[in-house]
Amino acid sequence: MRLIGGILFFLLVSFDTIAQQNYAVSAIPPELMVRASAVIRNDEMSIEVKDLNDVVIRVKEAVTVLNKNGDSEARMVVWYDKTRQIKYIKAVVYDEFGLLKGKIAEKEFKDESAVSNSSLFDDTRVKRFSPAITTYPYTLEYEYEIRSKQSLSLPDWQPNTTTGVSLENAKLTLMCKPDFAIRFKEENYAGKVNVTDTEGLKTYTWEVHHLKALRDEPYSPSADTYLPAVRIAPVKFAYQSVNGSFTNWSEYGLWMNEKILLNRDIIPAETATYIKELVKDIEDPRLKAKKIYEFVQGKTRYVSVQVGIGGFQPITAAEVDRLGYGDCKGLVNYTKGLLKVVGINSYYTIVEAGPEKKSAIVDFASINQFNHIILCIPFAKDTTWVDCTSKTIPFGYLGDFTDDRIALACTETGGKLIRTPAYTSEASRQIRKASFKLDEKGNLNGEMTTTFDGLQYDNREQLIDEPFTEQVKKLQQIYTLNNLEIQSFKLEQDKGRVPVTTERMKFYAGDYASLNGQQYFITLNALNRGRSIKEVHNRVNILDISRGYTDIDEITYTIPDNYKIDGRPENFKIEQPFGQYAIDIQEKGNTLVYTRKLHLKEGIYPPEKYEDLVSFYQQVAELDESRISMIKRIVN
Amino acid sequence: MKKIFFCLALSLSFIQVYPANFPYGAVSIADLEMKSYSKDTSANAVVLQEFGNTHISSGDETPLIFEYHVRIKIFNAKGFNQGNIVIPLNKSKDNRYEEVSDIKGSTFFIDHDGMMRETKLDLKKVIREDMDKRHNLVKFAMPDLTNGCIIEYVYTLSSPFIFNFRNWYFQDDIPKVYSEYIAHIPALYNYNTVLVGATKLTKNTAELERECFNPGGGIKADCSKITYTMADIPAFVEEDYMTAASNFKSTIKYELSDYMDYRGVKHQITKEWKDVDYDLKKDPYFGSQMRKKDLFKTQLPALIAGQPDALIQAKKIYSFFQKYFKWNGFNGIYSVDGLKKAVETHSGSIADINLALISVLNEAGLNADAVLLSTRSNGLVNNLFPILSDFNYVVARVNIADKTYMLDATNPFLPFGLLPIKCINGQGRVISMSKPSYWVDLVASQKESKIYNLALELLPDGKIKGKIIEISLGYEAYNKRKAIKKFNSIEEYVENLDESMPKTKIISNKIVGLDSLDVPLSESYEVEINAFDNLNKGQFAFNPFFMDRTKENPFKLRERNYPVDLGAPSDTRISLVCTFPDGFEVTSKPEPVALALPDKGGRFTSEISIDGSQFLFQQMTLLNKSIYQPEEYPYLKELFNKMVQVQKTDIIFKKKQ
Repeated sequence: MRLIGGILFFLLVSFDTIAQQNYAVSAIPPELMVRASAVIRNDEMSIEVKDLNDVVIRVKEAVTVLNKNGDSEARMVVWYDKTRQIKYIKAVVYDEFGLLKGKIAEKEFKDESAVSNSSLFDDTRVKRFSPAITTYPYTLEYEYEIRSKQSLSLPDWQPNTTTGVSLENAKLTLMCKPDFAIRFKEENYAGKVNVTDTEGLKTYTWEVHHLKALRDEPYSPSADTYLPAVRIAPVKFAYQSVNGSFTNWSEYGLWMNEKILLNRDIIPAETATYIKELVKDIEDPRLKAKKIYEFVQGKTRYVSVQVGIGGFQPITAAEVDRLGYGDCKGLVNYTKGLLKVVGINSYYTIVEAGPEKKSAIVDFASINQFNHIILCIPFAKDTTWVDCTSKTIPFGYLGDFTDDRIALACTETGGKLIRTPAYTSEASRQIRKASFKLDEKGNLNGEMTTTFDGLQYDNREQLIDEPFTEQVKKLQQIYTLNNLEIQSFKLEQDKGRVPVTTERMKFYAGDYASLNGQQYFITLNALNRGRSIKEVHNRVNILDISRGYTDIDEITYTIPDNYKIDGRPENFKIEQPFGQYAIDIQEKGNTLVYTRKLHLKEGIYPPEKYEDLVSFYQQVAELDESRISMIKRIVN
Repeated sequence: MKKIFFCLALSLSFIQVYPANFPYGAVSIADLEMKSYSKDTSANAVVLQEFGNTHISSGDETPLIFEYHVRIKIFNAKGFNQGNIVIPLNKSKDNRYEEVSDIKGSTFFIDHDGMMRETKLDLKKVIREDMDKRHNLVKFAMPDLTNGCIIEYVYTLSSPFIFNFRNWYFQDDIPKVYSEYIAHIPALYNYNTVLVGATKLTKNTAELERECFNPGGGIKADCSKITYTMADIPAFVEEDYMTAASNFKSTIKYELSDYMDYRGVKHQITKEWKDVDYDLKKDPYFGSQMRKKDLFKTQLPALIAGQPDALIQAKKIYSFFQKYFKWNGFNGIYSVDGLKKAVETHSGSIADINLALISVLNEAGLNADAVLLSTRSNGLVNNLFPILSDFNYVVARVNIADKTYMLDATNPFLPFGLLPIKCINGQGRVISMSKPSYWVDLVASQKESKIYNLALELLPDGKIKGKIIEISLGYEAYNKRKAIKKFNSIEEYVENLDESMPKTKIISNKIVGLDSLDVPLSESYEVEINAFDNLNKGQFAFNPFFMDRTKENPFKLRERNYPVDLGAPSDTRISLVCTFPDGFEVTSKPEPVALALPDKGGRFTSEISIDGSQFLFQQMTLLNKSIYQPEEYPYLKELFNKMVQVQKTDIIFKKKQ
């Protein structure tokens, strides 16, 4: 599963000259120095729409780097391609006192291909420069101008994106003719847009001041929920040879259908015949679609090609058919075409993929909210979603790459926002049954079966089809039993309606029990140990557990006949709103059954609940270290 | 070679006989039906046949022509990456560049009807990418890959760079059934050739080719046609803790030693070390740079003024350099744009910064030489011939009062005399302005050492209070300094440390030696640990190994093919004194352990003694070698195994009756 690439480079920067800028470090307000490794002194971006196919973007940013960790803020990277030219780019360096130290000319920038990954073919290039300054603090002020031949995708403005960086002033200006209508969306923006209309030029201005540096806080919601941002979308636009207009998602979908996707899903006759033949004996349309999806998985592979309009438009289905490869757009469009051949309707669906669940903004349609394409197949009873870039995932399975978020389906009647399926913590299970036999020397012979479903279905993806020697290496990383020797290992994947992976394993672990005097100590849970998480003093963000899981481990221990258990931990249970943990131990003669259940529940909780999560995991980590001891029976 | 000689050349030319390349597209049904590779059933793909042929052409500018032909069987989707081909091409500053032509590719597979089909590579889909200043890429994706398919492609690469001829990589991440390489080397050219790796050649023959090289100007030369063949080459499997894979993968490497030009003048390229020494000393980007004077005309006198001690002078210069320069990320043994430029811009390559250091040390009257070396990821150098292109790094070596110090000023956290681990790799060559060059072993001058001293008190309420002192030396201090400097301030570092141990509260801290690189780094923390909710149960267990515990054995393979290379020896010592409440006694404790590796390779000892209501725990872990050979591996593994075992045991306290 891969991203669209291309047009997704962020750019945060701008123009407008403020005379007599004071870049002395002493001028930075003290509260902006707290936790900051860099301070954005001034960040201006101006977008001037001269015509639908002539947009000038000017960026001017000054950043004061306080120490080595802030160097990355002074790294300049600007991308360009055939539709986006860099008119100029330059930079100036100031010292701690705001005195000019040197200038960086355009020729000192490196000019490189923007991609180096071997499966990406892309004509995007970058100009980059990293200043080599070893005396801190210093200030880098850089500016550039870009001429873009399209007005469809205007840059989003989010002046502060990272932790450890504070911001003094930032400003966004949009200038256009009065007849160039825009829509905009302000997020976490306290002020109000300032609009002026003079001499046939309409100017919109947004400003933010004094943003303190943020800290990295685990289990935080998406930064978009609290960082100020402004997004702008045109009502009418030009994109390369295509013109268009949309003001809402429905119109966006129509525009996609008519201008971008029209007639691109025509399947060559030979393949169409083959496909009809392939599914002719299948009645159920869902099973038909499954068969076709598996055909696509077998025939094609993911190779990303982003040349020219490639950022938005898929290569034709005929081309994918001929080449046997394509990117997410091409492969979805091809699958859609194949389904159409047998009369199954499906929707080309645009989504922001990634582990963070990012939804389309419901009340604001714009093109740059997404990076991936999936296919939505609306069957009468259950809508099915597929990702066409993986050769292995089951039909109808999305995993954590595109789960539970609002995506835009391009239907015949226009764009429709639909939420992709969520995997609940109750349905994302790892269930294990193991039998551990100990001998008199403390060695262990083990056998176990583990099933994975829901979000955990692909926990073992990295092991599938790997050589046994590689599997052993990886298993020794997953199961950190000392001296683990894998005797047999088997993975099975049921790619049915509820996909399940089953792992079966036999192993031997020498010296599993540690001897101390006459007593053997045996760690009860060697397979699935919880780890403590970091505290965060004075946490600011709410606690956001975006995905949960359920793990159940049941291990039956058998100890040698002439031994008895002489020490064991108590049964224990922890209940919290966000999860439960329980260990239960049942002894019977020479066997002992250890059951561990851990359930973390998805949800949103107030910031102070995070402390409870820390102590929850701390307790889990400690209890997972629990041991029993065994000792030789004294024979009378 | 100029074009005017072309006619003459034509009249004298004759047919060159090209050898046994295998026929294109002659894919057998048996290969298409093959389900797995019998010699390595786990392979996702296997090279069935591979052929390479390199000659120096007689054409204009006599480019090197390399023809490549391969046929690969792909068993499953994990082998599909074989179908995405990237050919990296070099280009030079003076606008000379490598080119690829005559690309042809096909995918063979059995279709739904059981028929063999061929899909040809569409040449319009071949992408040429201008990657950066020094590299172009040619990329193409083979069409129609299916499980069980066979891909085959050929291309011709022409290169103006003949210095390394064309290396041939026999061994790769997938196995190969057969690989053959033919090198036609005109007698006018002399290459040093090295075969790297453990796999043996199955065939190695040399024949004479008469007058195969006719670049014009009346020049005619015979060639040696050398054929190298390897069959049944296993896939290369990387192991943890190893240096560059290129040290172990089977490869043929070349370096031009000398050649004769069209006037009959011999040019010595790679020579004996004495000639290399001479050239390096004269080289405008090496020796001439090293001899530059007055790089820091104003700063140098002030730095060493009134300081008679040579060692202190050297340290002052070294730390001045560390603060002055920022490494621009480039390796290499030659200065890039000259030292003057580097000084002006405060930035430079490894060579820029370290050659400047040598120059300034010498100017200060200290005896400094250059040491050429190859970093761990770059592979070991060949010490049979002087192959300069093996080296990618240069450091300074200074002699003061019968002691030598190796210096790398490109890293702000390295103390004087300590090389970064990446440089600890076999041998380096000392290049002196006054003496012949010589080899020197690159060994870690300091260990990776840490000492923990803990004085704790277990209180009746279950809390532990006390002081933890951690002293880091050598590479450990280097690593620690880097880790601390990742934070904006010491307060933020300590806060993070505190937050990462939920049961431990850091009440106060003192960190000494953070910026004084030549002294140990010492951290001391006053802590309060919420060890137990209470001590009412009458019995409780305490694990004394909570500092720096080895929870799992880092060595998991049953046996190794390649040495374990840790870079530097290490030394870890823990000493813990803890008092416990009066009414308790120790009923069980970990037994004393003393383990040693053969040949003084290392030791692990651990002992706990009880003295009234106080126990003393001492532990020492020594790994005395940087490199452990595969024969020593089982002992090393077992040592760690026992450590993990021992560290699982607790001290058991019981309320006195």
